[in-house]
Amino acid sequence: MSEAVIAAMTPSTSQRIVSPFNPANAVTASRFLTLPPFVWAVHNGHHQLATLFILVCGLLDKLDGLVAKVFDCRSAFGEIFDAITDGICYGFALLLVAYYGWAPWIPVLCVLALGIGNTTLRFVYAGRAGRTVNYKSYAMERVVAYTGYLVGFATSGMEVTFFYWLFVPIMGITVLHDAKRMLLDAVPGGGPAR
Amino acid sequence: MNFMSDEAFRWSVTILTGGLAGTWLVYDTINLVRSRRADRRDPLVRDKRFGYVMGMLIGLVGIIGCLRFHGVM
Repeated sequence: MSEAVIAAMTPSTSQRIVSPFNPANAVTASRFLTLPPFVWAVHNGHHQLATLFILVCGLLDKLDGLVAKVFDCRSAFGEIFDAITDGICYGFALLLVAYYGWAPWIPVLCVLALGIGNTTLRFVYAGRAGRTVNYKSYAMERVVAYTGYLVGFATSGMEVTFFYWLFVPIMGITVLHDAKRMLLDAVPGGGPAR
Repeated sequence: MNFMSDEAFRWSVTILTGGLAGTWLVYDTINLVRSRRADRRDPLVRDKRFGYVMGMLIGLVGIIGCLRFHGVM
């Protein structure tokens, strides 16, 4: 998850009105453009090109945070959009590499289930907070970066079984930890904790 | 359709993975050490420390994966 996500947690930025049509969100949206060539590369068995396209997708994820900082256009919508884009791009890419037999199905399905569960928890958390807010998880930021790499491991054929199976418990522990924080602990910033 | 030799590609992904994993391991270890005096009753501090531990774990997994990829482990 990018710095836009981190920085947008502060009340000063989340309360400022920023148009959703800003440079940072444009960079985030441009990540979807890497998916069609990625599909083409995987379908045609071009491992190196597929790795390159998913690498570009990951680099754009880092770039949007920088753009948000430079153009001062951080927003609560931006952080949610960034998280959703992460989920769609990496989720789709994981399904695709599993479909083409480049990655094992069971860990991929576990990761997707955990990802959907985590997204649901974030909506519940936003409901508890009573505003558009994304729960900031230091551990999940690292796990999301690992997810991007997972796709790269599959496209490059790098220790696929090792990396995929080890990722499941790491993500599972993180989701459990965050679930406790999002569902049970008090919401920071004075939001109503139901 | 390849844009580099298989061997170069192999080393490129190794450097990309191992480089980041190693940096991450060191970075989060330093973060964890620096936060050892922070108030652990504060949920934010606990979150940060948990994140650093997971980051170290992920970094370690990345390094071990690279070593396995090259038949070292």
